[in-house]
Amino acid sequence: MEDQSMKVIDSHTHFPGTSFGCRPRSGEDIRNEFESGGLSGAWIMTTDGLLGEPARHNDLLAEGVRDHLDFFVPFCTVSPNEGTDAALAELDRAVGDLGMKGLKLHPWLQSFSPTHPAVLPILRKAGELGLPVLFHDGTPPYSTPLQIASAAEKAPETTVILGHSGLEDLYEDAILACLRHENIHLCLCSQSAGNISEIVRRCPAEKLLFGTDAGFGDSLIKPAIAKYLDLDISDETLKKIFHENAQALLP
Amino acid sequence: MKQAAMQSNIIDSAMRLPAGNPKSEVSAWFDLAERWGISHTVAAPPDEFVMAFNDEGNAMMADLVKQYPDRLSALAVANPWYGEKAVDTLKRAFERGLCGLYLHPGRQGFHLTESVVDPLIEACLEYGKPIYSHTGTPICAMPFQLAELARRFGEATFVMGHMGWTDFCGYDAVPAAQQTPNILLDTSLACSSIVADAIEKLGVGRVLFGTGYPRSRPAHEFEKLKPLNLSEEDFDKYARKNARRIWKINP
Repeated sequence: MEDQSMKVIDSHTHFPGTSFGCRPRSGEDIRNEFESGGLSGAWIMTTDGLLGEPARHNDLLAEGVRDHLDFFVPFCTVSPNEGTDAALAELDRAVGDLGMKGLKLHPWLQSFSPTHPAVLPILRKAGELGLPVLFHDGTPPYSTPLQIASAAEKAPETTVILGHSGLEDLYEDAILACLRHENIHLCLCSQSAGNISEIVRRCPAEKLLFGTDAGFGDSLIKPAIAKYLDLDISDETLKKIFHENAQALLP
Repeated sequence: MKQAAMQSNIIDSAMRLPAGNPKSEVSAWFDLAERWGISHTVAAPPDEFVMAFNDEGNAMMADLVKQYPDRLSALAVANPWYGEKAVDTLKRAFERGLCGLYLHPGRQGFHLTESVVDPLIEACLEYGKPIYSHTGTPICAMPFQLAELARRFGEATFVMGHMGWTDFCGYDAVPAAQQTPNILLDTSLACSSIVADAIEKLGVGRVLFGTGYPRSRPAHEFEKLKPLNLSEEDFDKYARKNARRIWKINP
């Protein structure tokens, strides 16, 4: 990594609430932390809303970042367990009324398998709306890359992002999913430097995104950027990972 | 943490020699380690020697240790499914000067709760050697499974590799280690907040600095320590004294 001042957009951050030991914070406060970590922008997703009441938490997220839409790109969530109709209605509302730009799904926290019958209609609807869908992945039993790929394959018009590229144990599966399915992209959030190096070597650079999980009340950003310091990745590829691909995927 | 002043004579308790020419790989590692103030490394052999060819792997590591006695210690490998042959392999490796046993249940095909590993633990007790186990891989190498093994062999010393990273296993690391005092945690790959939690709840005497190379990199592993604000005394235990004590490394 030659250019230490490269623009960095984080494609995987969370809006802290009261879960996971976090405390609620203002959009301005979160933005300040993210900027001091070195970010130029962030896709931001609910944390508490993954545990229940997605509509209420979509509202809270939209309200929290409303004055900072030059920095944050808000992602909504919906719950497949509320039923297909309710989930699709909330997706419409979150996009139409709240201005959400993407959809976040977390199968193990939200207690559904990617093969749940409501998932496919949700994915297809997101595709119609032009929303990228970022899944938590890497965690059995409900969040493996190939489970998510089986759904993504049936919604080829929808951009599906594996939010952790399979984490430590399933990154090979994530690479296979990325190579097999044109609509699957990989976010390198929480990946180790060694696996990042391997993913970059084998997957198209245009399908890779930088991410940190920032927002959990932890200083995750600088250590995540530091992972790239010793890797043999060209600045051209890093630009794609650090900001160009994130910008290209948004509606 | 005043990193520049403190960062010397560090011991890395979690390195895996990359596959390839061992001399050139260890030389490349020493170059990188030196830049980060790492003066001594505890290394395990590459994957192929972890799964099979255990004797060859141990001999290779013993040769490297003989060549670099001040800079390198090495863990022995023995796949428990080889039964009595595995015990002989392990004892031979200890006679050659290797400093502990390296287990990787995912690679070696056993669960930490299976008795097939017992004869190897008994050999470690006989020789007074600690056991480092990779953890974080469901369904066979999770923190509570290591705790079960450690409780059954209360006289042996165990190191929880990567302290259960990734994802939900990371949450289990500290509660599992609280079940039994004979487990230390290797912090490589784990994120800052989980390391901080371990130090707070278990004490700094039970954590070991590791780079997790080649999966992780020193740039990331040191960057993530900054928010911990460790005192000089605590950093000394974490990154030097604890390792000297359990691996029996002379200053």
